[in-house]
Amino acid sequence: MTTHLEQELEHIKSKLFEMADCAIESIAKSVRALKESDSDLAEQVLRDDALLDNLEVEVDNECIRILVTRQPAAVHLRLVLAMLKINTDLERIGDLSTNIANEAIGLHGRPPLKPLVDIPRMAELSITMLRDVFTAITERDAEKARAIIARDREIDTLNMQIYRELFTYMAENAHNITQALGLIMVSKALERIGDHVTNIAERAIYYIEGIDIRHADE
Amino acid sequence: MTEKITAKNLTFYYGTVPAIKNISLSVKANTVLALIGPSGCGKSTFLRCVNRMNDIIPATRVDGEILIDGESIYEPRYNVTGLRRRVGMVFQKSNPFPKSIFENIAYGLRINGVKNRYEIESIVEKSLKSTTLWDEVKDRMDESALGLSGGQQQRLCIARTIAVQPEVILMDEPASALDPISTQKIEELIQDLKKNYTIIIVTHNMQQAARVSDETAFFYLGDLIEVNPTEKIFTRPDVEMTENYITGKFG
Repeated sequence: MTTHLEQELEHIKSKLFEMADCAIESIAKSVRALKESDSDLAEQVLRDDALLDNLEVEVDNECIRILVTRQPAAVHLRLVLAMLKINTDLERIGDLSTNIANEAIGLHGRPPLKPLVDIPRMAELSITMLRDVFTAITERDAEKARAIIARDREIDTLNMQIYRELFTYMAENAHNITQALGLIMVSKALERIGDHVTNIAERAIYYIEGIDIRHADE
Repeated sequence: MTEKITAKNLTFYYGTVPAIKNISLSVKANTVLALIGPSGCGKSTFLRCVNRMNDIIPATRVDGEILIDGESIYEPRYNVTGLRRRVGMVFQKSNPFPKSIFENIAYGLRINGVKNRYEIESIVEKSLKSTTLWDEVKDRMDESALGLSGGQQQRLCIARTIAVQPEVILMDEPASALDPISTQKIEELIQDLKKNYTIIIVTHNMQQAARVSDETAFFYLGDLIEVNPTEKIFTRPDVEMTENYITGKFG
């Protein structure tokens, strides 16, 4: 039996999934714009961010309305609380993608320092993780969500690897500094995106099992 | 914290039909236990077992036991009048005596042997103050209690209950017929009262249970399905049936 409340929650959830799709697209496009030196595509990422911002406000408002009018409990309450937070994480992922897009615009026209391999790899990883976390939410599969958290380490490792490599480029030739710094910013943005996906996975586990696993290993 | 009330394998029959079945739970001193569940689930029956109010219903029977401070209240030699003095009760419908506001509270004191006029006045004032009714009625103590509003009448009944200094207060939907402001006052009162009393409250309002209680017990068809800290019940209950009930999916 599906109650009206559940229908309303499904509706909000579908908006959250729409946001996830937008966020995935922004990551993919911003990194492609960087790789292919396509400033038009980067501009598009900047423009499209408004869509995520609007959805964030909509999801917030609808969650608040549910809290006020329905006083949800148990799994419903956990879903609303999780959505309120996941919402913010998705919006931040959108912002971080615009950071990448801005770097793409800044680096446009400059000869590439090196072919980009690890940065697109980080982007792919974060996109896969983001897709999987939403599958975990749909299937209410906490184990799947836990597995995603473990994968964030791969992103962190790539980030450190990129840092080391780019430091070498900067040390070798001061002319490389602008480009290397730009790429470091991109790598940092992708590393942060990974952290936000981890947050989403933690919120998903809270929704599914009612357990708060944040900072458990600190 | 010590256990104030303990039910052990309590079954209560109306005729041959058990209204509650094999209930075991305990309430710690100075806490509030909320009983929730659909109509007819046995929560009021359980409540009325705690001060043996069900004794007056013919053709009923109790199995198992209830301990208050470790003492079994269904022992044949147990003093039932004394029990009802220790375990006060507040009902859904406020039931003040058709007497003055003052007399409503003084009556219980007198029949409990308090004779000193000054002592009675002092306890009346204290009881009315602790139910936040004093300022509203202090200038009309001789007027009929029936002239008070519904919320005031209910607070008067609570004042009447606590005047005789019980240890436990049972409340059967004490705010279900009140407006939101009066309800809020009763709920705040429950929070204040638990410093000195142990409270069991039956409520159909789940938000009320969530607001006022420390532990919540969910009853269904005479069975105790789950008892847990209130926060846990309302965020992640252990039993699916509890979850279905509090999320409105029952049926």
